[in-house]
Amino acid sequence: MPTLRSASRGLQSPNEKPNSDSITPSKKRSSSRSRETEAVVCSSPAVPRSDDAVGKVAKCKIISSPTSSRKRLYGDEPTHKPKWNPKDPAQMKAVKEALHVATVPSNVACRDGEQNRIFDFCKECLENDRAGSLYVCGCPGTGKTLSLQKVKNKLLAWSKEVGYEKPEAVSINCTTLTNSSEIFSKILEKFERTCNGLSPLQRLQRIFSQRQSSPPKMMLIIVDEMDYLITSDRSVLHELFMLTTLPFSRCILIGIANAIDLADRFLPKLASLNCKPPVITFRAYNKNQIYEIIQERLKGLGYDVFDPLSLEFCARKVSAASGDMRKALAVCRSAVELLETEIRDSCDLQEFHTVTFDHMDKALSKAFKPKIVDTILSLPLHQQIILYALVNLFNRSKKNSTTVGELNKTYNETWKSIHRNARTAIGAAEFTNMCQGLSDQGLLRLGQSKEEKSRRITLTVDSSDIAYAFKGHRFIQDCKHLEE
Amino acid sequence: MERTTPSKLSRLRSDSTLAATPPPTPGFTGPRRSSRLLTSPGPTKLDSDDAPSSLPTPIPSSTKAKRRLSLESPTTDPVTPIRSESKRPKRTTVQYKKVVLGDVEFQVGDDIYVKKQGSVESESEDPDVEECRVCFTPASKSKIMIECDDCLGGFHLQCLKPPLRKIPEGDWICSFCTDKKDGKEVVWPEPPEGKKIKRTAREKLLSGDLHAACIKSIWRETDGTYWLRCVWYRTPEETAAGRQPHNLRRELYRTNDYGDVVINSVLRHCYVMNPEEYQRASDDGDDIFYCEYEYDVNYHNFKRLPDIDDNYAENDESSDYEGDSDGDSDNDDRSLRGTSSNRSRSKVLAANSRKGRAYWLPKIAESKTQENRKRRKQSKLEKASAALSLASRPTSPPCRNKEMEEIETFVKGAIGGQECLGRCLYIHGVPGTGKTMSVRAVMRNLKSEVDSGVLRSFCFIETNGMKLSSPNNIYKNIYEQLSGHAVGWKKALHCLNEHFSNGKKLGKKDQKPIVLLIDELDMLVTRNQSVLYNILDWPTRPNSKLIVIGIANTMDLPEHLSPRISSRMGIQRLCFLPYNHEQLAQIILSRLKGIDAFEDNLIELACRKVAASSGDARRALQICQRASVLAEYRVKQIADAKAKGKSRVCLTDIEGALDEVFKSPHIQRMKMCSKFGKIVLTAMVNELHRTGGEELTFEKLSERVISLCSMHHEVFPGYDTLMRACCLLGDGGIILCEEPKKHMSQKLQLNCSSGSDDVALALKDCSETPWLSLYL
Repeated sequence: MPTLRSASRGLQSPNEKPNSDSITPSKKRSSSRSRETEAVVCSSPAVPRSDDAVGKVAKCKIISSPTSSRKRLYGDEPTHKPKWNPKDPAQMKAVKEALHVATVPSNVACRDGEQNRIFDFCKECLENDRAGSLYVCGCPGTGKTLSLQKVKNKLLAWSKEVGYEKPEAVSINCTTLTNSSEIFSKILEKFERTCNGLSPLQRLQRIFSQRQSSPPKMMLIIVDEMDYLITSDRSVLHELFMLTTLPFSRCILIGIANAIDLADRFLPKLASLNCKPPVITFRAYNKNQIYEIIQERLKGLGYDVFDPLSLEFCARKVSAASGDMRKALAVCRSAVELLETEIRDSCDLQEFHTVTFDHMDKALSKAFKPKIVDTILSLPLHQQIILYALVNLFNRSKKNSTTVGELNKTYNETWKSIHRNARTAIGAAEFTNMCQGLSDQGLLRLGQSKEEKSRRITLTVDSSDIAYAFKGHRFIQDCKHLEE
Repeated sequence: MERTTPSKLSRLRSDSTLAATPPPTPGFTGPRRSSRLLTSPGPTKLDSDDAPSSLPTPIPSSTKAKRRLSLESPTTDPVTPIRSESKRPKRTTVQYKKVVLGDVEFQVGDDIYVKKQGSVESESEDPDVEECRVCFTPASKSKIMIECDDCLGGFHLQCLKPPLRKIPEGDWICSFCTDKKDGKEVVWPEPPEGKKIKRTAREKLLSGDLHAACIKSIWRETDGTYWLRCVWYRTPEETAAGRQPHNLRRELYRTNDYGDVVINSVLRHCYVMNPEEYQRASDDGDDIFYCEYEYDVNYHNFKRLPDIDDNYAENDESSDYEGDSDGDSDNDDRSLRGTSSNRSRSKVLAANSRKGRAYWLPKIAESKTQENRKRRKQSKLEKASAALSLASRPTSPPCRNKEMEEIETFVKGAIGGQECLGRCLYIHGVPGTGKTMSVRAVMRNLKSEVDSGVLRSFCFIETNGMKLSSPNNIYKNIYEQLSGHAVGWKKALHCLNEHFSNGKKLGKKDQKPIVLLIDELDMLVTRNQSVLYNILDWPTRPNSKLIVIGIANTMDLPEHLSPRISSRMGIQRLCFLPYNHEQLAQIILSRLKGIDAFEDNLIELACRKVAASSGDARRALQICQRASVLAEYRVKQIADAKAKGKSRVCLTDIEGALDEVFKSPHIQRMKMCSKFGKIVLTAMVNELHRTGGEELTFEKLSERVISLCSMHHEVFPGYDTLMRACCLLGDGGIILCEEPKKHMSQKLQLNCSSGSDDVALALKDCSETPWLSLYL
């Protein structure tokens, strides 16, 4: 998520200011609105909450907007801490917005160490007027791109403050390149020099290897998702890093990717040339950090949406699973949505609703809990029998893969043992169809083969899960004797 | 646009497609436009004042007033899409194919200028002849006019400074335009005293003072007025995207917006051409336009016309239009002739009439079949099979209310507020569980909410991963639907990136939220997955206003993708479980409402069977349809007419259909084998049973066959024939055999899942050779 909602503001003042700027008006508005809607709700308590939320939204807006604007005109700031009211659409919207991935907090919490290291590196390069390269790695959703944007803004502000020439900053996301060598032409765009007949790379190399009459500006190149540049001969990646080693090179190259050892694995040559970029690792967030970041995002709202216990639960679960901040935010958002639907459906006029442990539990299980057992139980009967036959086949043969033909045979046997007087079971064409369905559900994997019969089948879920799911099944239980 | 510029006669198109057109030969140069004007002097003026004399049927004077009244009725305005039913009383309308007014003939498929209401009377004398921008006299044989490719104005060759001798090749831009581009002051020649500058119909149309439309049908009201139903064209300025740099000066968009127009508001013909025709029409006059795309007035997106014409049957608008026109109106083939004879206008009409024919071909065929159907009363079974066919789709799938509600709250949650937060939803489920149909139904519901003003409008784009020639082409597809401009995928990717991440606008107007539905999402997985990365990254950008709904079969697609993509995909999932038998029955019964074609419990039987194997609604529908077809076939054999009417689908039909689907076709094929083939199969089963193996050699088989034949007094036809029989069985897929050059050591194998059981089942009661069952 490279661009930031508050990035443009951050340019002018990298401090806390933009935050207060952007948040307070909405706070004001929402607080006054909340009071209004409360009034609406209280005045007509007998009316059951109607299902059309849209109409309600419109109503609330119409009533509340004039007052709020007047309030703002008079500068009448609410003194007390506003109360969280989930029935207020404006508050709900503000919460959802705060939890959206695209909304960017003014300061990235918990990444100060990494940010400072990157900043110091760039500062040193600027001060000594030399080129340099850096490699940033970390799991998805650990704030790499975000931190680098912050560093970029900070650096630009710093250079202005100190009086250095403002460096040129380029951010390139490699997924948007149509061809990996296009990256050089994107970098070259900043120089606007024409030397015809040369490729963009050669032109860049010429610029950096000869003393120019007017030395170009320092350049900060941020290359996001760098591993998309890996070609079969790795030349693009290699040349890109080599640009920083040229005698008159004036660019600071910062690469971002997920793999921790990208430079070691793909660029062993760089190490031998003694220009291996230093690596800064963004570790996955731990539970405290996740908790802190979510708190930070919600702080601007000024009311407690979440039960602290629920937030901690979310933080623990997400940090244990992946430490992906995007996931944590998505879980929180879906928990808020659960609360919203609950309020809409329920009829009691309870005053206070926060997102409780239960909501969070539901949201988390939606995201993380494996649903194998449920999936198996919701399968059509014949597909269940296929699975059962497959498990039996593996148990008997002590192998872990089979072919469609063999499985078909076992399935026919199983079917006959269940329905002794049954006519023949389902034909081969439909059988492959069902296997395809099972593989779509992610329960088994179908290999590729020229002939339908000889496609390999492997189980992707644990056989004990299947056995557990079939406990108490009305058909399969009858033929226990098949199972050892 | 500046309309004060001069123009020329022979139309040399400015677009690149035309660069290749050969320059007009001097003899021809002329003045194809002026020649047209000479042969058909003066376009018809159809003002209500002078029209009555030329109207085909005398109309009582009282209707005159009424006609003028109806001129003001809202239906004449292209912006009102609402069709008032009262305008077309069902019983009395008479449909015509063409109508002749004055000496101009309008027929279905023609393009026309339609006057805008209100402004009609003021400029009643329309200049039919374009005048030179310098000397203000029209073109003639001696004075050829040339058109400027920038301002579309006409100039006499002689009036130019310096004068041109012949029409130049390629693009030509007048000196006024070039001066203007260079930033010089431009002084247009003033018209002579007492003459005011008249605008041509084309200029009026392009500046929005006229409308263009294509006639779809013509009918007469009870009061004798003639009405046209037409589909409107729009100029690029009238679309949500505004005029784009790639739009040609004469480009129009066809819309999916229908309107009824009284014939008096028709000005005259214009000619809207597709790109090919437009390229050919280098000097066909001033009233030709270019149309490549259809513009959807509801979703504000663009579709290429050939794409639409291909799947024309799917078009909702046209199908329900078809539906109410076939009611009771009798199709009247006689063309109405006016007083004047039909003049030789074939040359001018040629391009257009050809277009009309090509376009309406599917429709004509459809109406013909409908006529045929009407003549013979449909039997119950025919009705049932028509209702059950996969092509006749209900507007929304039954039994999916919960899922549809979830999709609706998802979309509303994203676009409901003032600001649109980008989101992503992944829908998965096995085939035939109504995934795409549900999303479409939700979108239709939301559209009606947009129309009623509850929800703010959004743009809905649909693509299918299966229909893309390569995953990268999805950028092209999306961009084309957003802006109406086809570019290469690289350019499209660049533009979309600019749009979504930097907020660069695609059109002039404020950006609406975009709902992007991608069917078969798994087809977009490339080796480095960059396509999916880009598409799923856009919603996480601020201000992207993009909502992505992806549909695929596999449940665990996000887990197979690289973590950075699944991280961006979010956790919003929606699972469409396979239907259970009650739901399947409900789906089928909802289609068969009012048709009592099935005996009791048969539908349940079929549904239970399908639900037990796959839960695929398509499969269930196919089985029931097949059963009704089988029943129809069975009924045809019965001579008794009384029984015919009453007969319904019975158990044997549905069992036959079930067997066709669920049983392997092997058994049927074995039953159809030749006698000798059966003997071979029996021998094979017997030998395999004896040895207990999976395969046997040709040598062993032949021994066995010889012994069987001798025991039962059959003649052994020889090794050649035996080999041929084996090859035939092998070609039919009943047995597997090695290549026949190995002769005796060739290995053979049965190719059915349950081996000998299938053969036994197939050959058990064979009347020809009853002894076979002894060996099975």
